[in-house]
Amino acid sequence: MNSSEATNPLGLSTIPSVSSEGLVPVGRRTSLRSYLAALWGRRHFILAESRAKMSGSTRKNLLGYGWLFLNPLLSVLAFWFIFGFILQSSRGVPNFLGFLVIGVFFFQFTGKSMTGGTGAIRSGASMIRGFQFPRAALPVSVVVRNFLDFIPTAAVMLVLIAVIPPTEVITWRVVLVIPVIVLQTIFNVGLACLLARLGHKVPDLTNFMSIISRFWLYGSGVFFSIEDKLSNHPAILAAMQFNPIHAYLTLVRNSLLYGVDSPAWLWFMAIAWACGLLIVGFLFFWRGEESYGRL
Amino acid sequence: MADSELEEPNIVAENVQVRYTVNTNDPGQRAKGLRRIGNAMLGRRGQTTVRALRGVNFVAREGEMVGIVGANGSGKSTFLRNVAGVEQPDRGRILVRYQPLLLGVTAALQPALSGSENVRLGCLAMGLSPEEAAEAFDYVVDLSALGAAIHRPMGTYSSGMGSRLRFAIALAARPKIMLIDEALSTGDATFAERSERAMDELLAEAGTVLLVNHAAKVIQELCTRAVWMHKGEILMNGPAEAVAEKYRWWAWNVAKGKDDIADKLLHDVVSNAVKEEINILEPELVRDPIPRHAARTVKKTVASTRHMKRREAVDEVEETPAPLLAAAESQVWPEEIATELPKAKFPALPKPASQAVSAPRIHDEPPPLRLRPSKKRVVLRAADPSDRASSVAASDDFTGRRLASRARKIADERYQERERIRQDEAPPTVHQDSGR
Repeated sequence: MNSSEATNPLGLSTIPSVSSEGLVPVGRRTSLRSYLAALWGRRHFILAESRAKMSGSTRKNLLGYGWLFLNPLLSVLAFWFIFGFILQSSRGVPNFLGFLVIGVFFFQFTGKSMTGGTGAIRSGASMIRGFQFPRAALPVSVVVRNFLDFIPTAAVMLVLIAVIPPTEVITWRVVLVIPVIVLQTIFNVGLACLLARLGHKVPDLTNFMSIISRFWLYGSGVFFSIEDKLSNHPAILAAMQFNPIHAYLTLVRNSLLYGVDSPAWLWFMAIAWACGLLIVGFLFFWRGEESYGRL
Repeated sequence: MADSELEEPNIVAENVQVRYTVNTNDPGQRAKGLRRIGNAMLGRRGQTTVRALRGVNFVAREGEMVGIVGANGSGKSTFLRNVAGVEQPDRGRILVRYQPLLLGVTAALQPALSGSENVRLGCLAMGLSPEEAAEAFDYVVDLSALGAAIHRPMGTYSSGMGSRLRFAIALAARPKIMLIDEALSTGDATFAERSERAMDELLAEAGTVLLVNHAAKVIQELCTRAVWMHKGEILMNGPAEAVAEKYRWWAWNVAKGKDDIADKLLHDVVSNAVKEEINILEPELVRDPIPRHAARTVKKTVASTRHMKRREAVDEVEETPAPLLAAAESQVWPEEIATELPKAKFPALPKPASQAVSAPRIHDEPPPLRLRPSKKRVVLRAADPSDRASSVAASDDFTGRRLASRARKIADERYQERERIRQDEAPPTVHQDSGR
């Protein structure tokens, strides 16, 4: 390596040789299998990271965890005042308040995962620069964090529905809420992964996201029944019914509020969206693994 | 440095080039025509490409601590980020033996969390299990010496405290390769002492440290070798003393505005610089020298035929001497040689380790990078289980403990050596004109 050793007696410069035995290119994307194994190996990190995000955001507020419940409750109140009281969109919807509560609480789960996923790489910049771990841990931890937030709020939601006057029909179908939550969580993981890479590539997406999120909120039938309002636009209705959030909301409302069976195609769509987006989103994120260090 | 050639390389960087496209408001770089209007609408002035690294070749071996000096913007941090794998170079490649750990200037991991929670989070991010993280906790708290401050939010720490904690967390995973980018320059004297000892231990266990520091004195004291980077290239590579000395002299002249001397110095260094190249011997190529498209006709089990050939060659050499000697006696070259001369053969090289039976197959994916070798212990057992030696080895990791004590001894020697140098350090020599 020394400059004095760089010439041999013939005056030719010798190029030092090193064997690449046992050396591996650094920071390269690994195969999907070992990537998944590495991600599983960091499961404790994902949990710790999501707890860190949770307490990091709530500690600054005076009410702390209280906002987890207050925020959706206040939005339910606001939506009820505007849509139920002033615009009278509650006509034709039995048990409108319960309908609204389920819509707002379940939509916020996906909505928060969406905005959190978009900024996951940017907000995890110090971790990315400091340590080498599968970067998918960041969007996954966003969803895990929102899931941990969601579970206690869902319990509050159940109490609310039970207490509010027009009582729901309780059948064995209440149990079906659990698979729906699982499917929606899987869907959120796929969504967060997809948006994490897009948001890293196109930082402008964070501005765009609030608009998309609002449009989705209105289009998913959170505070009106799209079947009633769009009955004379069959094309738009079909497109709206393809919306995954609408599927999840309808499934929950049917099983929890009305105690009726949901059509099979609704279940099929819920499963297809969850698995499809998980595969597409995760593969898309994995393919960009090497690029997340550059900000 | 000749003996260091024998050590295994831990980091090999070959022709690493990095470019960044960044916004600029340099009037000379403005876009023309329509693009200018477009840029104006987006509130941009123009874009330019910065070549942060222009072909860096670099090897760092086991037990080496390499200092990197250079002016601001010479590409030191970019190089470290690339070695750590945070970014990928645009051209060239970087090979490492273990996953390097980068210690940057931005120390706070999660500013809202307390120091102790950050310790746990950092340990888990490095891939430690929760039990290991709990075990390492005391070590980290001890090394960082933060006292009660460990329970306060990390966002309230001073920069020195933050980098102390960050360094201690990094060492908790006992990494083999550490890249330190200015991270220790904010620590105070007591911490400098602790961190040096910790790094000595790391080096003694065949680790490698790359250290970026603007104080050339620190580089001189700590490093075995130094590299001077200038505008994305390595200008000088040699013993830490010499390189740091040259750099200090140049920096001093630049600082004093003596540009002519500084330029001349730089010119001297550049003209003396040997454009370093590295020849990376690929185990794959050694094993399969024929390109795949050329080898297509002889697709039969390649490895076994080659074994056959090699054995044949040896046989022929043993047969030949007799007819050759007979021809030499007549002193005349015969018109034609009756016997077929064997073709010139190169001595058969010893089999590279990659061809050993136990070696992984070449088209297999490389194993995932770890911070350090895996903990699996090799315990040699005698055939007789009642044998005393084997029971001793099994009951306690004897070899591992002996190696550890040896590493400790080497670390102590390094430490004493450095103390000795510091004590009888002569008053400033020729170039060390104060100021720093």
